[in-house]
Amino acid sequence: MSASNEAEAGSLQVVAGAPTALPTGVAASLSPVASARQTRLTGALVSLAWNALVLLIVLAGWQILTILINSRFFPGPIAIFWAFVDLAVNGDTGGRTLWDHSWASVQRVLIGFGLAVVAGVPLGLLMGLYPRVYTNSRVVLEPFRFIPPIAWIPLAIIFFSGMTRFAFLIFLGAFFPVFTAALVGVARVEPIHRKVGLVYGASKGWILAHVVFPTVLPDILGGMRVGLGAAWLTIVAAELAGGISLGLGRMMSNYAELVQVPQVVVGMVLIGMLGLVMNEVLLVVEKRLFRWRWQVSL
Amino acid sequence: MVAAQHKVKAEISHRYGHLLVHDKLQFSVGENEFLCICGPSGCGKTTLLDILAGILPPTEGNVLINGRAVDPKRDNISFVFQEPSTFPWLNVWDNVATGLRIKAVKGRELARRVNDIIDIVSLRDFTHYYPHQISGGMKQRVAIARAFATDADLILMDEPFVSLDQPTRERMQREVLHTWEHRRHTVVFVTHNLEEAVFLGDRVIVLCAKPARIVAEIPVPLPRPRDPLSPEFTRIRAQCAGILHSLDPAPGALPDRRIAKAG
Repeated sequence: MSASNEAEAGSLQVVAGAPTALPTGVAASLSPVASARQTRLTGALVSLAWNALVLLIVLAGWQILTILINSRFFPGPIAIFWAFVDLAVNGDTGGRTLWDHSWASVQRVLIGFGLAVVAGVPLGLLMGLYPRVYTNSRVVLEPFRFIPPIAWIPLAIIFFSGMTRFAFLIFLGAFFPVFTAALVGVARVEPIHRKVGLVYGASKGWILAHVVFPTVLPDILGGMRVGLGAAWLTIVAAELAGGISLGLGRMMSNYAELVQVPQVVVGMVLIGMLGLVMNEVLLVVEKRLFRWRWQVSL
Repeated sequence: MVAAQHKVKAEISHRYGHLLVHDKLQFSVGENEFLCICGPSGCGKTTLLDILAGILPPTEGNVLINGRAVDPKRDNISFVFQEPSTFPWLNVWDNVATGLRIKAVKGRELARRVNDIIDIVSLRDFTHYYPHQISGGMKQRVAIARAFATDADLILMDEPFVSLDQPTRERMQREVLHTWEHRRHTVVFVTHNLEEAVFLGDRVIVLCAKPARIVAEIPVPLPRPRDPLSPEFTRIRAQCAGILHSLDPAPGALPDRRIAKAG
Protein backbone atom coordinates (compact mmCIF):
# COMPACT_ATOMS: atom_id res chain seq x y z
CA MET A 1 0.00 0.00 0.00
CA SER A 2 1.09 3.54 -0.45
CA ALA A 3 1.85 3.98 3.26
CA SER A 4 4.53 1.28 3.34
CA ASN A 5 6.23 2.73 0.24
CA GLU A 6 6.57 6.05 1.94
CA ALA A 7 7.66 4.31 5.14
CA GLU A 8 10.67 2.88 3.37
CA ALA A 9 11.40 6.17 1.67
CA GLY A 10 11.22 8.00 4.99
CA SER A 11 13.35 5.55 6.96
CA LEU A 12 16.16 5.58 4.38
CA GLN A 13 16.86 9.23 5.18
CA VAL A 14 19.38 8.46 7.90
CA VAL A 15 21.61 11.39 8.81
CA ALA A 16 21.82 13.50 11.95
CA GLY A 17 18.32 13.73 13.28
CA ALA A 18 17.03 10.21 12.67
CA PRO A 19 14.09 9.45 14.96
CA THR A 20 15.13 7.98 18.27
CA ALA A 21 12.02 5.79 18.53
CA LEU A 22 11.83 3.16 15.82
CA PRO A 23 8.50 3.27 14.01
CA THR A 24 6.28 0.23 14.31
CA GLY A 25 5.07 -1.84 11.43
CA VAL A 26 6.89 -2.70 8.25
CA ALA A 27 9.67 -0.16 8.70
CA ALA A 28 10.88 -1.62 12.02
CA SER A 29 12.20 -4.83 10.51
CA LEU A 30 14.61 -2.90 8.26
CA SER A 31 16.47 -1.03 11.09
CA PRO A 32 18.66 1.13 8.90
CA VAL A 33 18.58 3.59 11.78
CA ALA A 34 20.51 1.24 14.08
CA SER A 35 23.16 0.37 11.50
CA ALA A 36 23.62 4.05 10.69
CA ARG A 37 24.19 4.82 14.34
CA GLN A 38 26.87 2.11 14.39
CA THR A 39 28.57 3.62 11.37
CA ARG A 40 28.57 7.02 13.09
CA LEU A 41 30.13 5.47 16.21
CA THR A 42 32.92 3.70 14.32
CA GLY A 43 33.52 6.89 12.38
CA ALA A 44 33.84 8.85 15.61
CA LEU A 45 36.27 6.30 17.06
CA VAL A 46 38.44 6.35 13.94
CA SER A 47 38.50 10.13 14.04
CA LEU A 48 39.45 10.03 17.72
CA ALA A 49 42.32 7.61 16.99
CA TRP A 50 43.65 9.86 14.26
CA ASN A 51 43.43 12.89 16.53
CA ALA A 52 45.39 11.07 19.24
CA LEU A 53 48.07 10.15 16.71
CA VAL A 54 48.38 13.72 15.45
CA LEU A 55 48.62 14.97 19.03
CA LEU A 56 51.41 12.49 19.84
CA ILE A 57 53.37 13.53 16.76
CA VAL A 58 53.07 17.22 17.59
CA LEU A 59 54.08 16.70 21.22
CA ALA A 60 57.05 14.58 20.21
CA GLY A 61 58.18 17.19 17.70
CA TRP A 62 57.78 19.91 20.32
CA GLN A 63 59.87 17.99 22.86
CA ILE A 64 62.64 17.46 20.31
CA LEU A 65 62.59 21.17 19.49
CA THR A 66 62.89 22.01 23.19
CA ILE A 67 65.95 19.82 23.57
CA LEU A 68 67.54 21.44 20.54
CA ILE A 69 66.83 25.00 21.67
CA ASN A 70 67.88 24.23 25.25
CA SER A 71 66.64 27.43 26.86
CA ARG A 72 65.00 28.11 30.20
CA PHE A 73 62.38 30.16 28.40
CA PHE A 74 61.25 27.45 26.00
CA PRO A 75 59.69 24.58 27.97
CA GLY A 76 58.72 21.30 26.36
CA PRO A 77 55.52 19.40 26.97
CA ILE A 78 57.16 17.27 29.64
CA ALA A 79 58.25 20.31 31.66
CA ILE A 80 54.81 21.79 31.33
CA PHE A 81 53.24 18.55 32.47
CA TRP A 82 55.36 18.50 35.62
CA ALA A 83 54.60 22.15 36.27
CA PHE A 84 50.93 21.26 36.02
CA VAL A 85 51.31 18.41 38.51
CA ASP A 86 53.23 20.69 40.88
CA LEU A 87 50.59 23.41 40.68
CA ALA A 88 47.79 20.93 41.10
CA VAL A 89 49.31 19.31 44.17
CA ASN A 90 51.07 22.22 45.87
CA GLY A 91 49.22 25.24 44.63
CA ASP A 92 50.90 28.44 43.49
CA THR A 93 53.29 30.79 45.32
CA GLY A 94 50.43 32.16 47.42
CA GLY A 95 49.10 28.70 48.32
CA ARG A 96 46.11 28.99 46.03
CA THR A 97 45.17 25.84 44.15
CA LEU A 98 44.52 25.44 40.44
CA TRP A 99 40.98 24.66 41.33
CA ASP A 100 40.60 28.01 43.15
CA HIS A 101 41.91 29.91 40.15
CA SER A 102 39.86 27.96 37.62
CA TRP A 103 36.66 28.19 39.58
CA ALA A 104 37.13 31.93 40.12
CA SER A 105 37.48 32.53 36.40
CA VAL A 106 34.63 30.23 35.43
CA GLN A 107 32.36 31.74 38.05
CA ARG A 108 32.94 35.25 36.78
CA VAL A 109 32.25 34.18 33.21
CA LEU A 110 29.05 32.36 34.12
CA ILE A 111 27.67 35.28 36.11
CA GLY A 112 28.43 37.88 33.45
CA PHE A 113 27.18 35.53 30.73
CA GLY A 114 23.99 34.77 32.64
CA LEU A 115 23.27 38.48 32.95
CA ALA A 116 23.92 38.96 29.24
CA VAL A 117 21.43 36.23 28.33
CA VAL A 118 18.78 37.48 30.74
CA ALA A 119 19.08 40.99 29.30
CA GLY A 120 19.92 40.16 25.69
CA VAL A 121 17.25 37.59 24.80
CA PRO A 122 14.13 39.55 25.86
CA LEU A 123 15.53 42.79 24.47
CA GLY A 124 16.44 41.13 21.19
CA LEU A 125 13.02 39.52 20.91
CA LEU A 126 11.30 42.79 21.72
CA MET A 127 13.24 44.76 19.14
CA GLY A 128 12.69 41.99 16.62
CA LEU A 129 8.94 42.03 17.13
CA TYR A 130 8.77 45.83 17.08
CA PRO A 131 11.42 46.74 14.53
CA ARG A 132 10.58 50.41 14.70
CA VAL A 133 11.80 50.55 18.28
CA TYR A 134 15.10 49.14 17.08
CA THR A 135 15.53 51.36 14.04
CA ASN A 136 14.66 54.46 16.02
CA SER A 137 17.17 53.75 18.77
CA ARG A 138 20.03 52.45 16.70
CA VAL A 139 22.13 55.60 17.09
CA VAL A 140 22.48 54.86 20.78
CA LEU A 141 22.64 51.08 20.58
CA GLU A 142 24.94 50.33 17.68
CA PRO A 143 28.11 52.22 18.74
CA PHE A 144 28.27 50.13 21.90
CA ARG A 145 28.54 47.01 19.77
CA PHE A 146 31.89 48.15 18.43
CA ILE A 147 33.55 49.14 21.67
CA PRO A 148 35.51 46.03 22.67
CA PRO A 149 35.05 44.99 26.30
CA ILE A 150 38.76 45.53 26.83
CA ALA A 151 38.29 49.23 26.20
CA TRP A 152 35.92 49.31 29.15
CA ILE A 153 38.56 48.08 31.57
CA PRO A 154 39.77 51.51 32.74
CA LEU A 155 36.20 52.63 33.52
CA ALA A 156 35.45 49.29 35.09
CA ILE A 157 38.43 49.66 37.41
CA ILE A 158 37.29 53.13 38.45
CA PHE A 159 33.63 52.37 39.01
CA PHE A 160 33.52 48.76 40.14
CA SER A 161 35.54 46.34 42.15
CA GLY A 162 35.59 42.65 42.76
CA MET A 163 32.96 40.43 41.19
CA THR A 164 30.91 43.40 39.95
CA ARG A 165 33.80 44.61 37.86
CA PHE A 166 34.25 41.24 36.18
CA ALA A 167 30.53 40.65 35.74
CA PHE A 168 30.22 44.06 34.08
CA LEU A 169 33.04 43.38 31.63
CA ILE A 170 31.84 39.87 30.78
CA PHE A 171 28.32 41.17 30.32
CA LEU A 172 29.56 43.66 27.75
CA GLY A 173 31.39 40.94 25.88
CA ALA A 174 28.51 38.48 25.78
CA PHE A 175 25.54 40.82 25.40
CA PHE A 176 25.70 41.77 21.74
CA PRO A 177 26.09 38.31 20.18
CA VAL A 178 23.06 37.10 22.14
CA PHE A 179 21.01 40.24 21.51
CA THR A 180 21.76 40.30 17.79
CA ALA A 181 20.97 36.60 17.42
CA ALA A 182 17.53 37.06 19.00
CA LEU A 183 16.87 40.20 16.97
CA VAL A 184 17.74 38.61 13.65
CA GLY A 185 16.06 35.32 14.51
CA VAL A 186 12.64 36.93 14.87
CA ALA A 187 12.77 38.11 11.27
CA ARG A 188 13.24 34.51 10.19
CA VAL A 189 9.87 33.41 11.55
CA GLU A 190 7.90 32.03 8.63
CA PRO A 191 4.74 34.01 7.89
CA ILE A 192 2.91 30.80 7.15
CA HIS A 193 3.51 29.50 10.65
CA ARG A 194 2.05 32.71 12.02
CA LYS A 195 -0.91 32.23 9.70
CA VAL A 196 -1.53 28.75 11.07
CA GLY A 197 -1.89 30.28 14.52
CA LEU A 198 -4.12 33.11 13.29
CA VAL A 199 -6.50 30.82 11.42
CA TYR A 200 -7.20 28.79 14.55
CA GLY A 201 -7.71 31.99 16.52
CA ALA A 202 -4.51 31.86 18.56
CA SER A 203 -3.67 34.83 20.75
CA LYS A 204 -0.54 36.89 20.20
CA GLY A 205 0.91 35.30 23.32
CA TRP A 206 0.36 31.81 21.96
CA ILE A 207 2.05 32.71 18.68
CA LEU A 208 4.96 34.21 20.60
CA ALA A 209 5.43 31.13 22.75
CA HIS A 210 4.68 28.41 20.23
CA VAL A 211 5.81 29.85 16.90
CA VAL A 212 8.27 32.69 17.44
CA PHE A 213 10.17 31.15 20.33
CA PRO A 214 10.81 27.69 18.81
CA THR A 215 11.90 29.36 15.56
CA VAL A 216 14.28 31.73 17.32
CA LEU A 217 15.70 29.29 19.87
CA PRO A 218 18.37 27.73 17.60
CA ASP A 219 19.60 31.20 16.66
CA ILE A 220 19.66 32.25 20.29
CA LEU A 221 21.69 29.22 21.28
CA GLY A 222 24.13 29.89 18.47
CA GLY A 223 24.43 33.47 19.65
CA MET A 224 24.96 32.20 23.18
CA ARG A 225 27.87 30.05 22.05
CA VAL A 226 29.49 33.01 20.36
CA GLY A 227 28.77 35.15 23.39
CA LEU A 228 30.27 32.59 25.73
CA GLY A 229 33.41 32.51 23.62
CA ALA A 230 33.62 36.28 23.70
CA ALA A 231 33.04 36.23 27.46
CA TRP A 232 35.85 33.78 27.96
CA LEU A 233 38.23 35.93 25.93
CA THR A 234 37.24 38.97 27.95
CA ILE A 235 37.88 37.35 31.32
CA VAL A 236 41.53 36.73 30.57
CA ALA A 237 42.13 40.35 29.59
CA ALA A 238 40.13 41.57 32.55
CA GLU A 239 42.10 39.43 34.98
CA LEU A 240 45.41 40.45 33.48
CA ALA A 241 44.50 44.07 34.14
CA GLY A 242 42.68 43.83 37.43
CA GLY A 243 44.01 43.65 40.95
CA ILE A 244 42.35 40.55 42.35
CA SER A 245 44.65 37.69 43.26
CA LEU A 246 42.42 34.82 42.10
CA GLY A 247 41.83 33.76 38.53
CA LEU A 248 43.65 31.95 35.74
CA GLY A 249 44.58 35.18 34.02
CA ARG A 250 45.94 36.56 37.28
CA MET A 251 47.89 33.38 37.90
CA MET A 252 49.46 33.59 34.46
CA SER A 253 50.37 37.19 35.05
CA ASN A 254 52.03 36.37 38.39
CA TYR A 255 54.21 33.67 36.92
CA ALA A 256 55.06 35.84 33.94
CA GLU A 257 56.48 38.41 36.35
CA LEU A 258 58.55 35.63 37.92
CA VAL A 259 59.61 34.57 34.41
CA GLN A 260 58.47 31.01 35.10
CA VAL A 261 57.30 30.06 31.64
CA PRO A 262 55.99 26.49 32.25
CA GLN A 263 53.42 27.76 34.74
CA VAL A 264 52.29 30.44 32.32
CA VAL A 265 51.74 27.83 29.66
CA VAL A 266 49.81 25.66 32.12
CA GLY A 267 47.50 28.61 32.62
CA MET A 268 47.05 29.00 28.88
CA VAL A 269 46.31 25.33 28.36
CA LEU A 270 43.76 25.35 31.17
CA ILE A 271 42.07 28.42 29.75
CA GLY A 272 41.87 26.77 26.34
CA MET A 273 40.51 23.53 27.80
CA LEU A 274 37.87 25.22 29.89
CA GLY A 275 36.73 27.31 26.95
CA LEU A 276 36.52 24.18 24.82
CA VAL A 277 34.50 22.32 27.42
CA MET A 278 32.00 25.16 27.70
CA ASN A 279 31.64 25.29 23.95
CA GLU A 280 31.14 21.54 23.72
CA VAL A 281 28.51 21.55 26.45
CA LEU A 282 26.48 24.13 24.56
CA LEU A 283 26.94 22.16 21.34
CA VAL A 284 25.55 19.04 22.98
CA VAL A 285 22.58 21.02 24.28
CA GLU A 286 22.02 22.38 20.80
CA LYS A 287 22.16 18.96 19.19
CA ARG A 288 19.68 17.45 21.63
CA LEU A 289 17.25 20.34 21.51
CA PHE A 290 17.33 20.71 17.78
CA ARG A 291 17.09 17.17 16.51
CA TRP A 292 14.36 18.50 14.27
CA ARG A 293 16.85 20.44 12.22
CA TRP A 294 18.46 18.68 9.32
CA GLN A 295 21.62 20.74 9.47
CA VAL A 296 23.90 20.85 12.46
CA SER A 297 25.74 24.13 13.01
CA LEU A 298 29.35 24.33 14.01
CA MET B 1 -30.21 20.28 -2.03
CA VAL B 2 -32.52 21.92 0.47
CA ALA B 3 -30.51 24.05 2.87
CA ALA B 4 -32.45 25.90 5.49
CA GLN B 5 -29.60 28.18 6.35
CA HIS B 6 -26.31 28.27 4.49
CA LYS B 7 -23.22 27.38 6.47
CA VAL B 8 -21.18 30.07 4.78
CA LYS B 9 -22.49 33.16 3.06
CA ALA B 10 -20.09 35.54 1.40
CA GLU B 11 -20.57 38.89 -0.29
CA ILE B 12 -17.23 40.41 -0.99
CA SER B 13 -15.57 43.16 -2.91
CA HIS B 14 -11.93 43.64 -2.18
CA ARG B 15 -9.42 46.23 -3.21
CA TYR B 16 -5.67 46.18 -2.80
CA GLY B 17 -4.75 49.84 -3.02
CA HIS B 18 -6.26 50.96 -6.29
CA LEU B 19 -6.45 47.50 -7.71
CA LEU B 20 -9.87 45.87 -7.62
CA VAL B 21 -9.21 42.26 -6.76
CA HIS B 22 -12.68 40.88 -6.15
CA ASP B 23 -15.70 42.40 -7.85
CA LYS B 24 -18.92 41.75 -5.94
CA LEU B 25 -18.35 38.06 -5.32
CA GLN B 26 -21.47 36.50 -3.93
CA PHE B 27 -21.82 32.87 -3.07
CA SER B 28 -22.81 30.52 -0.30
CA VAL B 29 -21.76 27.09 0.82
CA GLY B 30 -24.14 24.55 2.29
CA GLU B 31 -23.47 22.42 5.34
CA ASN B 32 -21.19 19.46 4.52
CA GLU B 33 -20.79 20.66 0.96
CA PHE B 34 -17.51 20.27 -0.89
CA LEU B 35 -17.21 23.41 -2.98
CA CYS B 36 -14.45 23.87 -5.53
CA ILE B 37 -13.43 27.31 -6.67
CA CYS B 38 -11.58 27.28 -9.94
CA GLY B 39 -9.82 30.14 -11.65
CA PRO B 40 -6.63 31.13 -13.44
CA SER B 41 -3.49 31.81 -11.42
CA GLY B 42 -3.37 35.29 -9.99
CA CYS B 43 -7.11 35.86 -9.81
CA GLY B 44 -6.99 36.42 -6.09
CA LYS B 45 -7.89 32.94 -4.87
CA THR B 46 -5.55 32.99 -1.88
CA THR B 47 -6.82 36.44 -0.89
CA LEU B 48 -10.35 35.10 -1.10
CA LEU B 49 -9.54 32.26 1.26
CA ASP B 50 -7.84 34.65 3.68
CA ILE B 51 -11.04 36.69 3.69
CA LEU B 52 -13.20 33.61 4.22
CA ALA B 53 -10.96 32.56 7.11
CA GLY B 54 -11.48 35.90 8.79
CA ILE B 55 -7.81 36.82 8.88
CA LEU B 56 -8.15 39.49 6.20
CA PRO B 57 -11.09 41.90 6.32
CA PRO B 58 -12.63 42.62 2.91
CA THR B 59 -12.77 46.26 1.87
CA GLU B 60 -16.48 45.84 1.23
CA GLY B 61 -18.95 43.20 2.24
CA ASN B 62 -18.77 40.41 4.77
CA VAL B 63 -18.52 36.71 5.34
CA LEU B 64 -21.10 34.98 7.52
CA ILE B 65 -20.53 31.63 9.19
CA ASN B 66 -23.67 30.12 10.68
CA GLY B 67 -25.30 33.47 10.23
CA ARG B 68 -22.69 35.50 12.14
CA ALA B 69 -19.69 37.49 10.95
CA VAL B 70 -16.65 35.27 10.72
CA ASP B 71 -14.30 35.36 13.71
CA PRO B 72 -11.40 32.91 13.85
CA LYS B 73 -11.39 32.97 17.62
CA ARG B 74 -15.01 31.94 17.88
CA ASP B 75 -15.57 29.98 14.69
CA ASN B 76 -13.81 26.72 14.04
CA ILE B 77 -11.96 27.20 10.79
CA SER B 78 -9.14 25.12 9.35
CA PHE B 79 -6.81 25.98 6.51
CA VAL B 80 -4.61 23.76 4.38
CA PHE B 81 -2.04 25.99 2.69
CA GLN B 82 -0.31 25.66 -0.64
CA GLU B 83 3.13 25.24 0.92
CA PRO B 84 3.69 22.69 3.67
CA SER B 85 2.80 24.49 6.85
CA THR B 86 3.89 21.93 9.41
CA PHE B 87 5.97 23.21 12.31
CA PRO B 88 9.45 21.78 11.85
CA TRP B 89 10.12 21.66 15.59
CA LEU B 90 7.20 19.31 16.27
CA ASN B 91 6.81 15.71 15.25
CA VAL B 92 3.86 14.49 13.21
CA TRP B 93 1.65 13.75 16.19
CA ASP B 94 2.18 17.15 17.79
CA ASN B 95 1.66 18.88 14.47
CA VAL B 96 -1.71 17.21 14.00
CA ALA B 97 -2.61 18.22 17.55
CA THR B 98 -1.78 21.91 16.98
CA GLY B 99 -5.23 23.10 15.96
CA LEU B 100 -6.88 21.24 18.82
CA ARG B 101 -4.34 22.64 21.28
CA ILE B 102 -5.04 26.21 20.18
CA LYS B 103 -8.72 25.48 20.74
CA ALA B 104 -7.81 24.42 24.30
CA VAL B 105 -8.57 20.73 23.95
CA LYS B 106 -6.47 18.77 26.42
CA GLY B 107 -5.60 15.42 27.91
CA ARG B 108 -7.49 12.29 26.96
CA GLU B 109 -9.93 14.11 24.68
CA LEU B 110 -7.00 15.56 22.73
CA ALA B 111 -5.26 12.18 22.46
CA ARG B 112 -8.41 10.44 21.31
CA ARG B 113 -9.19 12.94 18.58
CA VAL B 114 -5.62 13.12 17.32
CA ASN B 115 -5.25 9.35 17.22
CA ASP B 116 -8.58 9.02 15.41
CA ILE B 117 -7.65 11.34 12.59
CA ILE B 118 -4.15 9.89 12.36
CA ASP B 119 -5.66 6.48 11.76
CA ILE B 120 -8.04 7.83 9.13
CA VAL B 121 -5.22 9.38 7.10
CA SER B 122 -2.88 6.40 7.72
CA LEU B 123 -0.13 8.28 9.54
CA ARG B 124 -0.02 5.81 12.45
CA ASP B 125 3.48 4.55 11.55
CA PHE B 126 4.96 8.03 11.35
CA THR B 127 3.84 9.81 14.48
CA HIS B 128 7.40 10.16 15.78
CA TYR B 129 8.88 11.51 12.57
CA TYR B 130 9.80 15.15 12.14
CA PRO B 131 8.77 17.13 9.04
CA HIS B 132 12.30 17.19 7.67
CA GLN B 133 12.21 13.40 7.49
CA ILE B 134 9.03 13.08 5.43
CA SER B 135 8.16 13.94 1.86
CA GLY B 136 6.14 16.92 0.66
CA GLY B 137 3.09 14.76 0.06
CA MET B 138 3.25 13.44 3.59
CA LYS B 139 3.63 16.93 4.98
CA GLN B 140 0.41 17.88 3.26
CA ARG B 141 -1.21 14.76 4.69
CA VAL B 142 -0.21 16.00 8.12
CA ALA B 143 -1.67 19.42 7.31
CA ILE B 144 -4.93 17.78 6.19
CA ALA B 145 -5.05 15.66 9.32
CA ARG B 146 -4.54 18.79 11.41
CA ALA B 147 -7.34 20.51 9.48
CA PHE B 148 -9.85 17.71 9.94
CA ALA B 149 -8.95 17.06 13.57
CA THR B 150 -10.78 20.07 14.92
CA ASP B 151 -14.33 19.23 13.71
CA ALA B 152 -14.23 22.50 11.85
CA ASP B 153 -17.19 24.59 10.72
CA LEU B 154 -15.26 25.32 7.55
CA ILE B 155 -12.16 23.81 6.01
CA LEU B 156 -10.32 25.92 3.45
CA MET B 157 -7.80 24.42 1.08
CA ASP B 158 -5.57 26.57 -1.10
CA GLU B 159 -4.30 24.48 -4.03
CA PRO B 160 -2.77 22.04 -1.54
CA PHE B 161 -1.53 19.58 -4.15
CA VAL B 162 -0.12 21.99 -6.71
CA SER B 163 3.51 21.30 -5.72
CA LEU B 164 3.18 17.51 -5.84
CA ASP B 165 3.88 15.23 -8.75
CA GLN B 166 0.97 13.73 -10.67
CA PRO B 167 0.72 10.28 -9.05
CA THR B 168 1.07 11.76 -5.56
CA ARG B 169 -1.50 14.41 -6.40
CA GLU B 170 -4.01 11.79 -7.52
CA ARG B 171 -3.42 9.77 -4.38
CA MET B 172 -3.84 12.85 -2.19
CA GLN B 173 -7.09 13.75 -3.96
CA ARG B 174 -8.48 10.33 -3.16
CA GLU B 175 -7.26 10.65 0.41
CA VAL B 176 -8.93 13.99 0.92
CA LEU B 177 -12.20 12.51 -0.28
CA HIS B 178 -11.66 9.47 1.93
CA THR B 179 -11.08 11.71 4.95
CA TRP B 180 -14.00 13.93 4.04
CA GLU B 181 -16.25 10.91 3.80
CA HIS B 182 -15.38 10.08 7.40
CA ARG B 183 -15.77 13.64 8.63
CA ARG B 184 -18.26 15.48 6.50
CA HIS B 185 -17.18 19.01 7.12
CA THR B 186 -17.88 21.98 4.88
CA VAL B 187 -14.96 22.36 2.51
CA VAL B 188 -13.95 25.15 0.15
CA PHE B 189 -11.20 23.89 -2.14
CA VAL B 190 -9.40 26.29 -4.45
CA THR B 191 -7.51 25.11 -7.50
CA HIS B 192 -6.59 26.12 -11.01
CA ASN B 193 -6.74 22.50 -12.11
CA LEU B 194 -10.15 21.87 -13.68
CA GLU B 195 -9.97 18.12 -13.54
CA GLU B 196 -9.19 18.30 -9.84
CA ALA B 197 -12.13 20.63 -9.26
CA VAL B 198 -14.62 18.41 -11.07
CA PHE B 199 -13.18 15.27 -9.48
CA LEU B 200 -13.55 16.57 -5.95
CA GLY B 201 -16.41 19.03 -5.72
CA ASP B 202 -20.17 18.90 -5.29
CA ARG B 203 -20.19 22.21 -7.07
CA VAL B 204 -17.64 24.19 -9.06
CA ILE B 205 -17.50 27.97 -9.04
CA VAL B 206 -15.45 29.46 -11.87
CA LEU B 207 -13.73 32.80 -11.36
CA CYS B 208 -12.20 35.02 -13.99
CA ALA B 209 -8.91 36.88 -13.65
CA LYS B 210 -8.65 40.16 -11.73
CA PRO B 211 -11.01 41.83 -11.10
CA ALA B 212 -12.42 38.45 -10.14
CA ARG B 213 -16.06 37.77 -10.78
CA ILE B 214 -18.05 34.58 -10.65
CA VAL B 215 -18.61 33.58 -14.25
CA ALA B 216 -20.21 30.20 -13.64
CA GLU B 217 -21.57 27.93 -10.94
CA ILE B 218 -21.72 24.36 -12.10
CA PRO B 219 -23.10 21.54 -9.96
CA VAL B 220 -21.43 18.15 -10.23
CA PRO B 221 -24.12 15.65 -9.31
CA LEU B 222 -21.99 12.59 -10.00
CA PRO B 223 -21.59 9.87 -7.37
CA ARG B 224 -18.13 9.30 -5.93
CA PRO B 225 -15.67 7.76 -6.67
CA ARG B 226 -15.69 9.55 -9.98
CA ASP B 227 -14.11 8.34 -13.18
CA PRO B 228 -12.37 11.21 -15.00
CA LEU B 229 -12.73 9.28 -18.26
CA SER B 230 -16.49 8.78 -18.05
CA PRO B 231 -18.68 10.76 -20.47
CA GLU B 232 -20.57 12.64 -17.76
CA PHE B 233 -17.34 13.77 -16.13
CA THR B 234 -15.90 14.81 -19.45
CA ARG B 235 -19.04 16.74 -20.34
CA ILE B 236 -19.00 18.76 -17.13
CA ARG B 237 -15.30 19.35 -17.42
CA ALA B 238 -15.62 20.51 -21.00
CA GLN B 239 -18.35 22.89 -19.94
CA CYS B 240 -16.06 24.48 -17.32
CA ALA B 241 -13.13 24.50 -19.72
CA GLY B 242 -15.17 26.26 -22.34
CA ILE B 243 -16.13 28.99 -19.91
CA LEU B 244 -12.57 29.43 -18.67
CA HIS B 245 -11.06 29.55 -22.15
CA SER B 246 -13.58 32.08 -23.35
CA LEU B 247 -12.06 34.44 -20.80
CA ASP B 248 -8.50 34.06 -22.11
CA PRO B 249 -7.25 36.92 -24.28
CA ALA B 250 -6.32 35.86 -27.83
CA PRO B 251 -2.65 34.81 -28.14
CA GLY B 252 -0.50 37.85 -28.82
CA ALA B 253 -3.07 40.31 -27.54
CA LEU B 254 -1.94 42.87 -24.99
CA PRO B 255 -2.87 41.90 -21.45
CA ASP B 256 -5.48 43.94 -19.65
CA ARG B 257 -3.59 46.68 -17.79
CA ARG B 258 -5.59 46.21 -14.63
CA ILE B 259 -4.72 42.51 -14.53
CA ALA B 260 -1.07 43.15 -15.39
CA LYS B 261 -0.67 45.34 -12.31
CA ALA B 262 -0.74 42.25 -10.10
CA GLY B 263 -0.24 43.18 -6.45
